Amino acid sequence: MDRLVEDAVDLLRVAGLSRRYGATVALKHVDITIRAGEVHAILGENGAGKSTLVKILSGVVQPNEGQMLLDGAPHTPRSIFDARNCGVSTAFQELSLIPHMTVAENLLLPNVSRGWVWPERKRSILARAGEIMADWEIVDIAPESLVEDLPLAQRQRIEITRALSHARGLLVLDEPTAALPDTRWLFRQIRRLTGLGVAVMYISHRLSEVREICQQATILRNGTTIETVRLAGVDDAGIFAMMVGHAPSDPTARTVDSTASGAVLLTARDLCVGAVQGLNLDLRAGEIVGVAALEGQGQQDLFRVLGGVTRRDSGQIAVGGVEADLGSPGKAQRTGPGIAFVPEERKTDGIFENLTAASNIVMADFAAGGGGWFVNGQIERRRAGTSAARVALAPRYLDFEVGNLSGGNQQKVLLARALMSGAKILVLFDPARGVDVGTKQSIYAMMRDFVKSGGTILFYSSELSELVHLSSRCLVMYDGRIVADLPGPILSEETLLAAAHGPQGMKEAS
Amino acid sequence: MTDAIRGRDRAPRKTPLISIRYIADSAFLIVVIYALMAVIYVAVQPSALSAYSIESLLNNSLPLMLAAAGATFVILQGGFDLSVAGTISLVNVTIAINPHDGPGGALWVLGISLAIGITVGAINGFIVAYLRIQSIAATLATMIIGQGAALIILKAPGGSVSDFMVYGLTGSVVDRLPFALVIALCVMAFWTVYSRTDAGRNLMAVGQDRKAAALSGINVRRTEFLAFVWAGAFYALAAYMLAAQTSTGNPAAGTPFLLLTFAAVALGGTAFGGGRGGVTASLFGAATLMLMQKVLFSLGVSSFYTGVIQGLIMIAAVLFASAVNHAARPKGHG
Repeated sequence: MDRLVEDAVDLLRVAGLSRRYGATVALKHVDITIRAGEVHAILGENGAGKSTLVKILSGVVQPNEGQMLLDGAPHTPRSIFDARNCGVSTAFQELSLIPHMTVAENLLLPNVSRGWVWPERKRSILARAGEIMADWEIVDIAPESLVEDLPLAQRQRIEITRALSHARGLLVLDEPTAALPDTRWLFRQIRRLTGLGVAVMYISHRLSEVREICQQATILRNGTTIETVRLAGVDDAGIFAMMVGHAPSDPTARTVDSTASGAVLLTARDLCVGAVQGLNLDLRAGEIVGVAALEGQGQQDLFRVLGGVTRRDSGQIAVGGVEADLGSPGKAQRTGPGIAFVPEERKTDGIFENLTAASNIVMADFAAGGGGWFVNGQIERRRAGTSAARVALAPRYLDFEVGNLSGGNQQKVLLARALMSGAKILVLFDPARGVDVGTKQSIYAMMRDFVKSGGTILFYSSELSELVHLSSRCLVMYDGRIVADLPGPILSEETLLAAAHGPQGMKEAS
Repeated sequence: MTDAIRGRDRAPRKTPLISIRYIADSAFLIVVIYALMAVIYVAVQPSALSAYSIESLLNNSLPLMLAAAGATFVILQGGFDLSVAGTISLVNVTIAINPHDGPGGALWVLGISLAIGITVGAINGFIVAYLRIQSIAATLATMIIGQGAALIILKAPGGSVSDFMVYGLTGSVVDRLPFALVIALCVMAFWTVYSRTDAGRNLMAVGQDRKAAALSGINVRRTEFLAFVWAGAFYALAAYMLAAQTSTGNPAAGTPFLLLTFAAVALGGTAFGGGRGGVTASLFGAATLMLMQKVLFSLGVSSFYTGVIQGLIMIAAVLFASAVNHAARPKGHG
């Protein structure tokens, strides 16, 4: 395998690539070489320029300077379609599926119908899409189902499948596992493609995955190439050091007392909503409670109902010991100690892209205040500043439109807003999804501080290591119920994974 | 082990919601409302079933139906087109100063009309799609220009429309098959096919999520541009049928269409944000709006009240449609 990679020809050569947005330099003099049949990781913190690189390769934006050679020929795509015709296909981090269309149509866009004279019949379109899905081992999704009905993980697989089906020269995967708890399907498909001589550019924050599938890695920092390394020859600490410019603090430091005996802030009894069936839950002051689950076990429903986004079908929820009706997110925040919810999809569910970070942060606060007073920009900024400091959001970002911030900073803005509300109960759905190492550390630190000062946190994560590191105890959901409540000291990724596979998995592990 | 995990991905739920989905996504609701309205009309006005009154009802409705069909293209991709008023006025007066007789003359005039409509649409499309100016601002400008140009061509109502157009296009193709009905059915057939072509799918995709559509490889700008061109062509067709029906030219002919067109599209259930709805629904929306006027008139409702009642019925219909839409929406993660 390794020898093959050594001998293979360079499929993509990027030299001196630069891209400026106004005064901001997103990329400067980036050099990358990827060989045919190689899986090449791009590592870097958010804002390092990874997204811009992806956009340039796939034709969404054009570089200001620099040269790209694909299989020896200049690669200058003007559009996604163009890039695809050159053999470069991309699975985007922010999924690019049309919600109210079928999986089949999404897979075949923009040329769904084959007939020139007469549009192709629906059945024949479904059959063609079905072949593509079978080809890439998607067996659990019907081609005729609407994308908006699918859980995030399935949507991500469809996004990836579309890119796989077009990949002839280079496949670009931007955070392909952000919503995928299981990587085996993806890695099988990647290996199949590389066997055919396709090069893969793999962008992920999860180093363990990168080590498993990639041979080489190029590290970007502040828009510049730092180094291209052979992954086998460098350890995690070395990679972190190249990414951030210094060695990170120990991410495994566990500071949370696992035997919290604070007051019960939130209880749920016999809760039923969506896929959740008869769930019981207690959250005490001073504890971080993790939730582990495979995709689609009802975790979305649980978190949305606690955040006040959806209404429960039956059962009781008590906040601060008092029976509560969480009719809306605003009501949830105002009930007793208060519940603040940070949703899964920040782009669609949480953020006002055109407002500044400061406005976004104080939003909930002013909303809670009620009245129709004018907003004073200075007061807004000052109040946002205190909250922003708690999540380590640099003050200079406060005046930026949130849409222009990197994903990690957007997430910090959302968390700062949740803190701003003064709620004692934080309900966080995958708070560190798709953000860089540095941001993760600040989010973890914020969570630990929060429970130390008497709050409680319920959080779901698709990363098991995160649950292990952070949780005072970890609940495992399976089929809409909590099947295990594991105390912090005995937590490990293996036990969580086993429990998440349901009663059978538990037995296998024991 | 792998299969165990993949097995956990819930298979798409086959629920009875499918039927509600169908109702929400098709023209079903507005067709039912139209049928109800027609039943009321026949009940209070038995003469409504005569060939003559059916024909005249359809002739009256057709221009608005065509205008609403055109506007739907633009609204589906997520924009607004106010130029409908200017385009109809401009084409209407152009027809009135070009009275070429006979079938050939009518065809020639149709050609001129479409050329004007498509040109205005292309200008709108260019400004919106390629110069990135908001569609309301751009089409407001072209509407004012169109109305101004119409006044230059014809200072006051007048001019003449060829007899062939006036009598031929407002009559019947064969006995009891009004020409207007044939045109409406043709537009429906056209949309049924168009919505299944790539261009039609792209239109819906762009309306739902511009960014995702672009990342899916759709040429968003071309799709936007095309929507305006189709709209212009349909407005021209509306003006053409209006001229045939009124047998005269009027530089202010398009003005009443401006708000009624949007009302018809809304009544048909097409979302103003884009991505949901269709031309067939808008055709029925426009037809319902016109039928409603007849019903209120024959019920003896004073014309002072018709506006109020029409508005209330519209709100009720749109509320009902959105309730159906809500019921059809996926639950949990949506």
